[in-house]
Amino acid sequence: MHIEVNDLRKRYGPAVALDGMSFTVRPGHVTGFVGPNGAGKSTAMRVILGLDAPDSGSALIGGRPYRSLRRPLTHVGALLDAGALQPGRTARNHLLWLAHSQDLPASRTDEVLDLTGLGAVARRRAGGFSLGMRQRLGLAAALLGDPAVLVLDEPFNGLDPEGIVWMRGLLADLAGQGRAVLVSSHLMSELQDIAGRLVVVGRGRVIADAPVAELIAQTGGGDGRAGLEQAYLRLTRDAAEFRGTTS
Amino acid sequence: MTGELRAGLRAELTKLRTTPAPAWLLAAIVALTVGAGAAATAVGGSPGTDTPRLALTGVQLGQAAAVMFGISVISGEYATGLIRTTFTAMPRRASVLAAKAGLVAGLGLAAGALAVLGSLLAATLAPPGGGAPALSLADGATLRAAIGSALYLTLMAVFGLGVGAAVQDAATAAGVALGVPYLLTIVMTVVNDQDLGRLLYRISPMSAGLTVQMTTDLSASPIGPWAGLGVLAAWAAAALAGGGLLVLVRDA
Amino acid sequence: MSRPAAHPDAMNRGSMNQGAMNRDALRRGLIDRAVLRAEWTKFRTVRGWVAGTVAAVLLIVALAMLLAGGSHTSCSNGPVEVACPALPIGPGGQAVTDRFYFAHRELTGDGTLTVRVASMSGIITYPPPDHDEIVPGLVPWAKAGIIVKQSLRVGAPYAAVMLTGKQGVHMQDDFVHDTPGPAGARWLRLARSGDAITGYASADGIRWTAIDTVRLQGLPRTVRIGMFVTSPSDLSVSRNSLGGSITQARFTQASATFDHVTPGGPWSRDEVGGHEGMTDWERYHRANGVSESGGTVTVTGTGDIAPRMDAVKPEVSLTGVAPGLIVLVVVAVTFVTAEYRRGLIRTTLLATPGRGRVLAAKAVVAGAVAFAAGLVAAAVALALGTKMLTAGGNQVLPVSALTEVRVVVGAAALLAACAVTALALGALSRRGMVAVTAAIAVIIVPWTLATASILPDEAARWLLCLTPAAGFAALQAIPAYPQVVAHYAPADGYYPLPPWAGLAVSFGYAALALAFALVRLRRADA
Repeated sequence: MHIEVNDLRKRYGPAVALDGMSFTVRPGHVTGFVGPNGAGKSTAMRVILGLDAPDSGSALIGGRPYRSLRRPLTHVGALLDAGALQPGRTARNHLLWLAHSQDLPASRTDEVLDLTGLGAVARRRAGGFSLGMRQRLGLAAALLGDPAVLVLDEPFNGLDPEGIVWMRGLLADLAGQGRAVLVSSHLMSELQDIAGRLVVVGRGRVIADAPVAELIAQTGGGDGRAGLEQAYLRLTRDAAEFRGTTS
Repeated sequence: MTGELRAGLRAELTKLRTTPAPAWLLAAIVALTVGAGAAATAVGGSPGTDTPRLALTGVQLGQAAAVMFGISVISGEYATGLIRTTFTAMPRRASVLAAKAGLVAGLGLAAGALAVLGSLLAATLAPPGGGAPALSLADGATLRAAIGSALYLTLMAVFGLGVGAAVQDAATAAGVALGVPYLLTIVMTVVNDQDLGRLLYRISPMSAGLTVQMTTDLSASPIGPWAGLGVLAAWAAAALAGGGLLVLVRDA
Repeated sequence: MSRPAAHPDAMNRGSMNQGAMNRDALRRGLIDRAVLRAEWTKFRTVRGWVAGTVAAVLLIVALAMLLAGGSHTSCSNGPVEVACPALPIGPGGQAVTDRFYFAHRELTGDGTLTVRVASMSGIITYPPPDHDEIVPGLVPWAKAGIIVKQSLRVGAPYAAVMLTGKQGVHMQDDFVHDTPGPAGARWLRLARSGDAITGYASADGIRWTAIDTVRLQGLPRTVRIGMFVTSPSDLSVSRNSLGGSITQARFTQASATFDHVTPGGPWSRDEVGGHEGMTDWERYHRANGVSESGGTVTVTGTGDIAPRMDAVKPEVSLTGVAPGLIVLVVVAVTFVTAEYRRGLIRTTLLATPGRGRVLAAKAVVAGAVAFAAGLVAAAVALALGTKMLTAGGNQVLPVSALTEVRVVVGAAALLAACAVTALALGALSRRGMVAVTAAIAVIIVPWTLATASILPDEAARWLLCLTPAAGFAALQAIPAYPQVVAHYAPADGYYPLPPWAGLAVSFGYAALALAFALVRLRRADA
């Protein structure tokens, strides 16, 4: 299953959020979705997921718009805002209502809780969770329907170093199983080694859409981590809305 | 006024000025009071009508906006987590609440005065008819009803602030701040026992407080007009004290 | 890097997808079992909402117990306080007033009685404005006529045709049924044929109009038939500053002379439902009774043959419905606004992209929870409250089991309608405080203004027709009877709309609010 984003445009009053954004996310590898703050990453993801309507253009998942999917979580898993929880509800109950909404068996909640390492705290109220635990719970929700496509907005936020390593391993595994995985981030280092492709955006448009190795070679930077960071900064130099004078 | 309180007041005023919601709520106090009062007056009166009270009926609806205004001044900060920023900037929480209370009272009184003047003006321009006596601010009782109604709206806003401080969640606070007064009024109208009914009237913030609007049949009222407003003031003070205590002891 | 502003292909594809989506949504329908189940799971897994619902039930029951338990009534018999006598009950199960003067005889098998009301007059004691003299006159529902009654027992079944003080000729039976007769009639006739009694009236004794035929179930072969006169109290109502009203009732008496009585006497005389003491008027001026002279019979009486309204209404036990409603409003509002506050609404819309289905499921859950809570609370409150009121010596107006069920289900339906309205307001405003206040402002405020004697009666009636508070009419257990004079105002528990119509108004507002919420949810980005 592909994600196809085609010439998306959207304005919020005078501010242009998406200015003709097009790209494709293919199954089998992790696609990094990077760009400075305000580049349109979150808006694009919300349009892909049918939360926001574009002024024009289309975003299709497996050839269909998100809103027409039946039991959508069995096709697409998404993590947008880890804080989006009812604090009084337990982790397991949070997943339980989601499972019910997709006609999934309740046993599925325990499977994803174990998969994300939350089995021990499943019956604790989500309000008491740290940001890292909330990210894990958000990921558990995304994996609930065993979807072929994953859309994850800043999944590394709030994770401790051990958690980051775990998340990278999990994302690589999921892509290895043939899923299409779109991961947004503004820290290149997080995507190091796991992203096969990068979609770099700025000011609502795609600046670069290429395999990671190609990007590094194109921009003629150094090698490894520093090289990717350099390539990214060079690409987004003109696109960033806010930047200190030191860079 | 201490320097700290002055700084607190300025900070709170800036917060209120720079978001649209408080201004809307203050406007709603005026609009709802005047609108509902004009509607009640349009239905008409009779020779025995208490015209000032009829003209000021809109306070019944305007008080909902007043309570909301009071609640919103504090619960909005709890909802967004802004309260932590506020308490970091001004660690003396009692001062913060005092500044908020001063502001709510001041702006509530301004809106209440406008609402009352608007209602009386509307009832003067379009009198109730049906032989109802004409309005005159020169009449002492009418003047008292007018001033008292403005103070009533003010105190309801302060009551809302106190409940909002105590309950934190804005929706629940609105339910409590409006529900408790209505509960007492509702029970009061159905109790069989006259003495119990009069007692409930005397302790109910709404019934006792609105006695200040009565210009006829005052002898039949279980409580005097200013004493009644005092009952509401006591409720507002108690809510503010209780809410303040909770704000002090609770983690932000 | 310039591109055309809108790619024609993309636009086309967009609209095609839109079309496919709408067809899809239609095919699947608005109510989706899985979404419903998900929303129910959401509801039951947040402690505050479950606790709020239970609190609403407890509040309704507790207020019933508080009000009923604190209410004691005793009647005075001279200087002695005694328990009040049981209310007389009519054949329909209603509490009745059954007092009149009766010139009667036996009727065995079928038969008729025909009379002409030659004259009718009366007195009213100390009426307004000055309350200082006794004036000649008839109250509107003073009654003089002929009656077939099963026996002289108070509350026994009957059928009667009568001339009234100011309402012309009427036929009435079994206390609650009333049919107006032709205008200008003075001649009255009753004909019995088995269980069926037919009433006739005529202006000239020649051309007769049948008013109605009623069946008195199980009427024995031998019954009483004759002439009667009665006259209900003259009422005036003043406002109570605490709410409700103070009703003053003044003694009246009516006399009627009957001629052309066919077949004629002799007549036995009885005061049915005789009274505990005589007024000064009866003692010193004119006592109730019968006098015969030649072919004419003059009957003088006081009282009424009518349903009784001046005792405790059973729905007093449901006073807690309004406060309970406020609690359920908070629950219903936060059931939706909490999701906006936390951003959880996006997760919900990811799981169920169909906005309509999410809103429908939420409305069904909130409505069903409020209905179930209301059903339990109202049933317990009504049963317990009535029992405690009766134990406290209060005379509670009895209602049929069917009416009790109607009131309990009506209370539950009212709560459901208001919960759905509140939920829709929450989805519209997305802010809990605004939605709770708005819901209270459109439901509780109009209801309080209308029922707590704050507004004039006419304004109160308008409010209870036009606002979502109209559904409170479902709580009214005792109907208003046009043939009985009473203060039928909201302040005394009489609503301008019948229960079903009031509920229809409340549900109409719920539907309207849901429709607006759906438009907003579909238009706006999540």
